[in-house]
Amino acid sequence: MTAVLEVQNLSVAYRMQGGALQAVRDVSLSVARGEVLGIMGESGCGKSTLAAAMINLLPAGARVGQGAVRLNGTDILRLPPAAQRALRGKSVAMVFQDPMTAFNPVLTIGRQLADFVGAHDTGLAQPERLAAMLTRVGIPDARSCLGRYPHELSGGMRQRVAIAAALLMQPDVLIADEPTTALDVTMEAQIIHLFRDLRTSFDGAIVIVTHHLGVIAELCDRVAVMYAGQVVEEGAVDAIFHDPQHPYTRALLACDPAVVDPSSGRLPTIGGRLPDLSAPPRGCAFEPRCRVAAVSCREPVPRQRPSAGRSVLCHRGAE
Amino acid sequence: MTPVLDLRHVDVDLPLGGFLTRAGLPILRDVNLSVGRGESVALVGESGSGKTTLARAVMGLQAVTAGEVHFDGTAIAGRDGFSRLRRDAAMMFQDATASLSPRLTVGYLVTEPFRIHRQPLPDPARMARDLLATVGLPPAIADRYPHELSGGQARRVGVARALALRPRLVIADEPTAGLDVSVQAEVLNLMADLRRDMGLAYLIITHNLALVRHVADRIVVLYLGRVVEEGPTAQVFAAPAHPYTASLVAAEPKPDPRKRRADLAIRGEMPSVLRRPAGCEFHTRCPLARDLCRATAPDLRPTTSGRLARCHFADHHQEQGDHHALEN
Repeated sequence: MTAVLEVQNLSVAYRMQGGALQAVRDVSLSVARGEVLGIMGESGCGKSTLAAAMINLLPAGARVGQGAVRLNGTDILRLPPAAQRALRGKSVAMVFQDPMTAFNPVLTIGRQLADFVGAHDTGLAQPERLAAMLTRVGIPDARSCLGRYPHELSGGMRQRVAIAAALLMQPDVLIADEPTTALDVTMEAQIIHLFRDLRTSFDGAIVIVTHHLGVIAELCDRVAVMYAGQVVEEGAVDAIFHDPQHPYTRALLACDPAVVDPSSGRLPTIGGRLPDLSAPPRGCAFEPRCRVAAVSCREPVPRQRPSAGRSVLCHRGAE
Repeated sequence: MTPVLDLRHVDVDLPLGGFLTRAGLPILRDVNLSVGRGESVALVGESGSGKTTLARAVMGLQAVTAGEVHFDGTAIAGRDGFSRLRRDAAMMFQDATASLSPRLTVGYLVTEPFRIHRQPLPDPARMARDLLATVGLPPAIADRYPHELSGGQARRVGVARALALRPRLVIADEPTAGLDVSVQAEVLNLMADLRRDMGLAYLIITHNLALVRHVADRIVVLYLGRVVEEGPTAQVFAAPAHPYTASLVAAEPKPDPRKRRADLAIRGEMPSVLRRPAGCEFHTRCPLARDLCRATAPDLRPTTSGRLARCHFADHHQEQGDHHALEN
């Protein structure tokens, strides 16, 4: 499989008083056509910054230190602004967490969808084409939906419309940042199934960014686990969930209330907190919270590659 | 023993805003719900099922159209009644950061309930320290402002504030929404500790079933403002008696790629309360609906296993194991 999107040694920092916050640190990842890549991690791990870099939508205070994001071989971070705009929405599209704020409240759904595609190709803005896309994402009575306003739709329906909007230009890569976090469990299940259907019918790559382990397990082929701005472990979804190598991955999986036996009484937790990313440690970032840490863990960590497609950023992981 | 909280045949209509019309949205219908001393009850259902309206009605933030709210064996009525109730029952809000005034320090916020209810507060600084210690926060946090807190810390401050007047009942609206899994585990452990140490009773409002499994003794399932199933948590999860409960259990994403569900358990969305379906109100989404369900509304009745379910075929489903077909 050839990669459609490749992140190479990417580092992104946010300017702040008296220094810079190293939000993404030397991340390399790739995703192929027809593949679903999950980026999993907790608040502050850098997953949303990484997702924003993948579509070159980094906020104003962010600075790309080194590295590249290559879409079909072209580094999108170093394109002139006009070329970047042409690319966004057309070759890479994004679905955001909150489907309410993703839309303009005073324009109809049909008008907004027409605007999205009109910026690239007016031929696609025909109501028939738009309605067909809404039908494809499971919206009943798609023609009347075009005439409605965002507040008239439920959260689940709005997220479907957001996905339809992202797919209209047939992008090469669809990035979804916490696509089910704002939804009920039943709507979440429906959106998971929609993504699964898309995986087979849509010829691009899908990247799902979430802290919800259940969504990753249900949906993804491959998973990258992030901690303190780094990918600490990467592998096939089955390997990550059934043979986790990094102590952070193990700890994270162990404390999910969904997997702990309720009769056990207490839930395991991960003590301590994230390191200060304005001055990241020289050695392993998880060392202060790690149960199996040794003195050698304070030295820079070499990336271990125990098998094809598997990588672990740990001194002890591959032992 | 008298329950701490007892709702009897509660209806709540929300006004539609018309000047001349008295019609309202029929949000809750004939809800009976009790929480015993030291008991933890979970109220579950999708958005729009009436969970939050019920919590607001208990706290007197929303008038009850019909029925009664009893607290500690006394029927509560009027502003004074609910004001007293709010001293003995406290609320943990869903958006912890938004529920804290941005211009007040944490120390002031956690002791504010004393001021609101005009309770003696001889040493506010010391009380703030003690309350923060109860929820596992360092004393230095008292001087911070809400925007300086992480999500987990804000949640703990919300708990400390709820505990200030030593309530007997805490109503927690989505206590772990928006928190990372490791922080979720910390909040759930804290809630369990407080229950053990202070004999607190909880009414937990959530759609997160993983949470319910860990913290609730009993579960009450709401659909379109009616109770459709009620019973001990472990039993309800093991063999749901109502197809809606079965759908909720089946819809929960499993954090194990080897247990991916082949199909979706529930289709469509909850109908509007203005257009309640005839017959069983769940029949429009029920995979097992028959003619009887479309024609006649079932009552909330005891099942053979001693739970309550609002389904014509509750016992039948349980015996036949229809729900296992649903889940797989």
